[in-house]
Amino acid sequence: MKTIKYSVILLLLIAAILLPIFTDAYFISVAITILTFMTLSLSWDMMLRTGQLSFGTAGFFGLGGYTAVIISADLGVDLFVSIIIGGLVAGGIAFVLGIAILRLREIYFAITTLALASVFSVVIRNLHKITGGPSGKIVFNTLFDYDSTKIYWLMLGIALGTIVISELFKRTRIHFAVDSIRADEVVAKSHGVDIFKYLIFVFVVTSMIQGVVGAAYALQYGFVSPESTFSPHYLLLPISMALVGGIYSTIGPIVGAIILGLSSEYLKLVMPYGHLIIYGVIIVLVVLFIPRGFYGTIRDFISERKHR
Amino acid sequence: MESILKLQNVTKHFGGLVAVNNVSFEIEKGEILGLIGPNGAGKTTLTNLISGIHWVNEGKIEFEGNDITLLPTHKRCHLGIARTFQISRPLKNMTVVENVMVGALFGKKSNLKLARREAEEICNQIGLEKLDTHFDKITVLDIKKIELARAMATNPRLIFLDEVMSGLNMDETRHMIETVRKIRNTGVTVCIIEHVMSVIRELTERVIVLDRGQIIAEGPYSEVSAQHNVISAYLGEDA
Repeated sequence: MKTIKYSVILLLLIAAILLPIFTDAYFISVAITILTFMTLSLSWDMMLRTGQLSFGTAGFFGLGGYTAVIISADLGVDLFVSIIIGGLVAGGIAFVLGIAILRLREIYFAITTLALASVFSVVIRNLHKITGGPSGKIVFNTLFDYDSTKIYWLMLGIALGTIVISELFKRTRIHFAVDSIRADEVVAKSHGVDIFKYLIFVFVVTSMIQGVVGAAYALQYGFVSPESTFSPHYLLLPISMALVGGIYSTIGPIVGAIILGLSSEYLKLVMPYGHLIIYGVIIVLVVLFIPRGFYGTIRDFISERKHR
Repeated sequence: MESILKLQNVTKHFGGLVAVNNVSFEIEKGEILGLIGPNGAGKTTLTNLISGIHWVNEGKIEFEGNDITLLPTHKRCHLGIARTFQISRPLKNMTVVENVMVGALFGKKSNLKLARREAEEICNQIGLEKLDTHFDKITVLDIKKIELARAMATNPRLIFLDEVMSGLNMDETRHMIETVRKIRNTGVTVCIIEHVMSVIRELTERVIVLDRGQIIAEGPYSEVSAQHNVISAYLGEDA
């Protein structure tokens, strides 16, 4: 059983790496978008596993993007180094903010993180000299000079890295800390779990991932602006994908990103002006009828049959 | 006798309600102490203060000579204070053995493999079977046992058992009493909060009686249970 599982994973991996060789530029660009949102979705889910609903995804995505564009345009920092620094800055800011806001819970935490993206974009809009203000900022050399195959591999690498981190979170003591915090904080701390330490850790790691994705995304186009970079898209799509695929798992957000990513592209072609309605209907139907998502429902079905 | 826990003039109020009022007592190393009193006397609040779920408003708590009054809950657990919850609180997203592993992983700081083995051992001792089942398919007794096993997995030096016998039938109670004795015999000090008086009579060497947040009596159960003020606390003034 295990060998089958590993060979399937290996085959999928090879297929994912070789994908750009067999497809056209259009499909590669779709795949890049899917990978971008898949990574954001997975990072959002990793935070959700602690029981904290974060709406800060778009905020840290934007911070990473702005940081990378500013330091590569003004300081001439190498693009790849900029991506890493974008992640570090997002993580650093998450650490400082986390000390304050991770004392909040449930809806209060959620609302505060939602406010973060607005605060970031207002600050950036007003720091004209550094950020270019409302009109945004440009860097002239872009990642791989728009070579979409290489960009695809870069985004694939970031996604795979995130998948590995997510699985590490699932297979180490972090899993037990995170799951016990989600189930019952009082029980967790009474049994020695340092709740605050684990919340900060997960918040910083997931924010760093969001910063890295934001940086890589911004440098593909060499452009950032308050509206586009902090767009609620980078929050709402990842959440929808995790819900459609199934939360609290690594595979769920991956499946959700592929389903929603492909269907939204297809719908765009079929009905250019109405595709978002259908998209919304899909999400509503999933939440109503299979609240555990596609992957979650299948997994629970199989494990229930096994135990019978 | 050496004391393991020392409370000095501990007071806790929730708004205008004084739940624990100027309470001082000591728990001796190796004893089984009973903490009794009518509903609302402050027994569970006291446990919450000692384990750090609530902070004291006044007073001081010492554990093995160290002042722990301001220590956060998880650090008190690391020092060796464990507790069960009166209303069982299984971690519903985990299996039986995973619940117990949480105690071993973070209380005792074992690694994953070791924690799994320790958890299995403790479940074995306490009589928990079906280790890989989810909580929704087990009995009340098993949920009670999870509470106890999870607390024991943190490798405590002092354990508070908050009504672990309530809701159990005669056989189950017998079994639980034996388990508590075994725990004490491994060198763990036990403080047991219980409404089932036969359990208190059988298990404890000493009891403390709380009423309205204050200690009203202290001593062996046979003496305390005959005192007029204890009887009236339970049954009312006219009894």
